[in-house]
Amino acid sequence: MLFVLPLVVLIGVFMVFPLLNAFYYSLVDFNGINPTPPWVGLDNFTEILQDDKVYAALKNNVIWIIIGTIAPLVLGLVMALMVWNARHGSAFYRTVFFLPFILPQVAIGVVWGWIYEPSRGWLNRVLDLVGLESITTGWLGNPDTALYAVLATAIWATVGFVFVIFLSALRGVDLDLVAASMLDGANPWQRVRYVVLPQIMPVFLMVTTITLLGGFKVFDIVLVMTGGGPAGATEVLGTYSYKSAFQLNRISYGTALALVITALAIPFAVWLNRIQRRLALEGGNV
Amino acid sequence: MTEETAPESAMKYQRAKLDARGRTKASARHTVLISISLLMLFPFLLTISTTFKTAEDVKGNPFGFFSSFSFENLRTAWTVGGFSDYLWSSVLLSVPSTVLVVVCATLGGYAFARLPFPGRPVCFYVVIVGLLVPFFAYMIPLYFQLRSMQLLDSLVGINLVLAATQVSFGTFFMRAFFADLPTELEQAARIDGASEWQIFRQVMLPLATSGIGALTVYAFLQNWNEFLVPLLYMPSGEHRPLTTGLYLFLGGRTVDIGPLAAGTLITILPVVLLFLVLQRQVTQGLVSGAIKG
Repeated sequence: MLFVLPLVVLIGVFMVFPLLNAFYYSLVDFNGINPTPPWVGLDNFTEILQDDKVYAALKNNVIWIIIGTIAPLVLGLVMALMVWNARHGSAFYRTVFFLPFILPQVAIGVVWGWIYEPSRGWLNRVLDLVGLESITTGWLGNPDTALYAVLATAIWATVGFVFVIFLSALRGVDLDLVAASMLDGANPWQRVRYVVLPQIMPVFLMVTTITLLGGFKVFDIVLVMTGGGPAGATEVLGTYSYKSAFQLNRISYGTALALVITALAIPFAVWLNRIQRRLALEGGNV
Repeated sequence: MTEETAPESAMKYQRAKLDARGRTKASARHTVLISISLLMLFPFLLTISTTFKTAEDVKGNPFGFFSSFSFENLRTAWTVGGFSDYLWSSVLLSVPSTVLVVVCATLGGYAFARLPFPGRPVCFYVVIVGLLVPFFAYMIPLYFQLRSMQLLDSLVGINLVLAATQVSFGTFFMRAFFADLPTELEQAARIDGASEWQIFRQVMLPLATSGIGALTVYAFLQNWNEFLVPLLYMPSGEHRPLTTGLYLFLGGRTVDIGPLAAGTLITILPVVLLFLVLQRQVTQGLVSGAIKG
């Protein structure tokens, strides 16, 4: 009993208690100062449903979820297949590809900010060099490109993580089946699609859910790179909730929004949990 | 980990099947993979290159590669930029919180795996809540809670918060680890009349060192990289760690690129070195940490 006491106290005081408070906050109108905030019932939630900025932010989250899930999955899988087939250098590639994933998001944001700089940044310099001056722009300052520029940075940071998981899953693939399919004359695409992919499907689903969940929670990298701008072009639910609470002193509104984000993510979290259990039953390890 | 088995057997059948054509394909493959590696390393090279430029060179050509050499930027970041203080704060915020996570998670994980005690289901339920609820959901009320507890801007308070966000995962991790250990030793010790504490301390703990090591590395990395917790709960800027210090510095991006690069290097160097030295633990920890959902 004493063994779990510190743990339960820690979680109770700094997680469960504020979480219960969050439900209370979302039902009153607290501005950070008033000691007895007035009860407003579900007003905060109905306001969220009518707030255009919420829908704009939600749209950005949806874009983030779609591209930020598909791109790392496809790139990570292709990279893993290439290294899996390679005779040498797998240790080197694992190190280099995973490296960005360990960095603090702030540092990533700083350096990619330089790469995207309009006049001296390397992206525009390279585009100039290959004759694509026409598409150079201030990547983070242009509302049309800012979200995708931040997203590309996030993909750069997560693809190595996806790669490492796929590579370890590929080690469990039955090579006799692969060899048999080659004898049967399957081309490389068919081999991946019908022989390799079905064998790593649980892991594939699990990685999908992880990146998907990340799309709801995206915050740090957006705040650091664009702060939600220009003109709200990169605003996501996370940054909007944060700004409502800590910049506009709409504590209750921000809290209600944070709860909505959590509620949106829960079905996917449950799904992830189920996949993991199925994986554990099958004895697959990652 | 049996790293090379799959590539090796893949290699064998490839060798049988393919000859010259295979070699061209392999070199094409490495060309692509090395290009990706360069893309992955590019931001690191850019940071190093800009850090070691002279102030003069940064003004004219901040992103040109290795066109001059000096320690000016590092010196400026370290002294005027306050990165020596940030570094120290980062240590003060990540070491105690990591110790706290590891101690609580090891004790708790052991109890949940090996000791049936009254109230265990309830306590376990609390841990599950901690595992499922994202920090996001309760971060705003926690600010006001810390304010009324006088724990804003306090090293003690932030360490406790950081530990609380990690400890559920840590407990799960250690529970799985202890559950896999053989029961014979424990039973032998019990027959010899050892107390529960002696069994834990002298029999189980020494067997769990590799799990504890992986958890330590993971928790330290997370605490070192944490951005939102110090951003929200250290508003005065006292004890500001590297991550939020760097964010603050970013305000003057166009003016101070040199020291900013140096600050970035100071921020990432400890985690990069940790990764290069303990690559297996870091990868294993981060992968299982992300899978927690």
